[in-house]
Amino acid sequence: MTGVSADASAKLPMTVVAGYLGAGKTTLINRLLAEDHGLRLLVMVNDFGAINIDADLLESRDEDTLTLTNGCACCTMGADLFMAMGDALDRRPRPDHLVIEASGVADPKRIADAGIAESEMTYGGIVTVVDGVEFPRLAEDGLIGPQVRAQAAQADLLHVSKVDPTPDALLALLAEISGASVLDSGAGDPLSPLLFAIPANPRRSAVAAVHPDYVSYSYEGPVAMTRGEIGSLIARRPQGLFRAKGRIAEEGGASWEVQVVGTQVSITRGPAIAVTRFVGIGLASNVTRGEIEDWWKAALPVPHPA
Amino acid sequence: MSDTTVFRAKKIITMDPDMPVATHVAVRDGRILAVGGADCADQWGGASHDDGLSGTVLMPGLVEGHAHMMAGAMWRYAYAGYHDRIDPDGVLWKGLADIDGVVAGLKEYGKRLGPDDPLVAWGFDPIFLPTERLNRNHLDEIDRDRPIAVMYSNFHLMCVNSKALELAGYSRETEVVGVAKGPDGEPVGELREMAAMFPVMRRLGIDFRGLSQTEPAIRSYGKVAVRAGVTTATDLFATIEDGDVETLLRVTGEDDYPLRLVPVLGAIGGSPEEIAAKALRLGERGTEKLRLGAVKLMTDGSIQGWTARVKWPGYVGGQPNGIWNTPPDMIHQLVEAMHRNGVQLHIHTNGDEASEVSMNAIEAALRKHPWSGHRHVLQHAQMMGRDQFRRAAELGIAVNLFANHIWYFGDQHAALTIGVDRARRMDAARSALDEGVVLAIHSDAPVTPMAPLFTAWCAVNRRTMSGRVLGENQRITVEEALHAITLGAARTLKMDGEIGSVSVGKRADFAILGEDPTAVDPSRLKDVPVLGTVMDGRVFRA
Repeated sequence: MTGVSADASAKLPMTVVAGYLGAGKTTLINRLLAEDHGLRLLVMVNDFGAINIDADLLESRDEDTLTLTNGCACCTMGADLFMAMGDALDRRPRPDHLVIEASGVADPKRIADAGIAESEMTYGGIVTVVDGVEFPRLAEDGLIGPQVRAQAAQADLLHVSKVDPTPDALLALLAEISGASVLDSGAGDPLSPLLFAIPANPRRSAVAAVHPDYVSYSYEGPVAMTRGEIGSLIARRPQGLFRAKGRIAEEGGASWEVQVVGTQVSITRGPAIAVTRFVGIGLASNVTRGEIEDWWKAALPVPHPA
Repeated sequence: MSDTTVFRAKKIITMDPDMPVATHVAVRDGRILAVGGADCADQWGGASHDDGLSGTVLMPGLVEGHAHMMAGAMWRYAYAGYHDRIDPDGVLWKGLADIDGVVAGLKEYGKRLGPDDPLVAWGFDPIFLPTERLNRNHLDEIDRDRPIAVMYSNFHLMCVNSKALELAGYSRETEVVGVAKGPDGEPVGELREMAAMFPVMRRLGIDFRGLSQTEPAIRSYGKVAVRAGVTTATDLFATIEDGDVETLLRVTGEDDYPLRLVPVLGAIGGSPEEIAAKALRLGERGTEKLRLGAVKLMTDGSIQGWTARVKWPGYVGGQPNGIWNTPPDMIHQLVEAMHRNGVQLHIHTNGDEASEVSMNAIEAALRKHPWSGHRHVLQHAQMMGRDQFRRAAELGIAVNLFANHIWYFGDQHAALTIGVDRARRMDAARSALDEGVVLAIHSDAPVTPMAPLFTAWCAVNRRTMSGRVLGENQRITVEEALHAITLGAARTLKMDGEIGSVSVGKRADFAILGEDPTAVDPSRLKDVPVLGTVMDGRVFRA
């Protein structure tokens, strides 16, 4: 997807990392900051306490921002999360991706919805970190249970921490609560291809080389579709397709931009293009490349009336 | 020898049992030197006499123990609420009783704006308007070219006009939770929750962070206080950075700044230990007029939003129990860290379950780190029962009850939230006093207007907007209510050694009243005129 512009005001994708206290949100964020993804991430956290940056990676540090040599930055968000989001949008150059560490009791959907509402942002999904040891107890807790379950229910991706592999009983419980794919704590290293990297960063195209834990399928070609056709195609997508992105041509020179993250689908108007490009990715445990390809190709043979 | 001034008043209500009533008070170096008759300063070497207040009634300066600095700076926006309100400059904004009134009022306001200014209003409350919902067509009548946003009083909703929808890029193609649409598929203008409101706020430059800690905000808050007879007020969930302290010190340090300001640090943005360390650091920078060092902790939501954590039998409409803004585990950790470091806590608890969890946390901290004078305060504490007040007394916990709720939301609470049984004992000032709990009562301005005499009226009369008396057995006397808005509130701030009564040695802070609140009929307590304040012996006219 080289069509994505690297200009300073490109749309900012936003991923929300949710999960109860101690689930391992910061561990996940530390991993994301350290991975070799070539993206300028801006990570907003509640506090720096547990952010653990290798000294070699740390360029500078002040009261509310850590700047990394790899172009990433990490800042505290202060009392007003949404105003801080506005500050992130105003940064020049604009970061490639915004990651928000939600508080331990936050309703992640209320935050992530801003990525849909704000025309200068895109929805990057909700990753809920599930404490592999404590979750079953917390989910039944009389005080906090409903909020802990809601965080899992709203997730596009569940990342189980502290146990590997995920016990069957926990998988069954999570499946009861949430339709999201489950990523084992041992799987998915690096995580960035799944969480951010469609497209691979235009400046570093090799990064998204597919990892054994993931499958991806990409298409480039002349297919053209109407808005309605795209809508029904996306509605029929394989269940394990976690993330997809494309710019699909329409007869007459227009195009449609398609983004899928978990259950969230966005189809918006795009500029005229000659070639359709599409890429989808999922967890190897949930979907095969062939399933994604078969689904997509099923859409192709229908010639569009001129 | 320093100058001494003796103020003469028609009556001075001292709140000091050793001399409950006087006519003269002598002031030296901003402090109370003597109290009594015209000769009270004679044994101190005489004084000059000031008869400028001789037609008034003086009380100790009133203390607002739970309010927010934005109560002043909100007035940079138009007021569109149902109830009459007075702005910091004394201008009366008539309540807007229907949608036509809102449109006409804002149209008038728009004439004062520059051509490129957005029109932003606050305080709109549809709960009192039984007509159709406000929509973009109403606001388009005000102006089609200028973006308009009307914020609802709960800050969870707003209504905007077509221009603002266009700026945010909201159209019939928008599929965003919270962007309400009409039968024709077009957005109607109503936006629900921050995710949907944020794109409009960003483009209209609405940023609540500027409503606190800035110089205009601090000054504006001072004006609000003078009109309410208040000489000490909290800002109860403050974000305080180093630069903010400089600004606060400079402005409050001016002789003509009329308020003792008590910013209470919000417990976010760090680990419990970091927050405690910051509070201790801030505490060292305090002055006579800027008191720092306490911490505010959120726990649950609000009762009228069905987000308060309530005990059985829950909400009368069957709504699920509310939400924790701070998880119970973290409440325990924060309470322990503050308590161990000797940092006083103000804990927001609306529902009775939140009060219980907070008291559990304080009790656990006390068992580990005995501290008999902690005086942590449960703020709002609206649903506490008599058993909980007894436990609070045992643990040395004070309460600051949201008495204004009885009038503003009491009918709703009886009918729609917790039902009539518990609504009758909401904000149970009688129970608190009977059980020996240190009691304050508050406005939570700007949620309701800062006006301690009105707050006292609520606790004394317990009348709702519909006129019913909600829980007659929880009413307190005028004297008890006046205590709660002076010495009681001062005790919750650990400032009762300096303020809260007209006693020798305390600061010369007074409320200047046009009538005697102990002589008027209790049903008229809210109507006693506030003429201004005296701060450190200096007179500020409202």
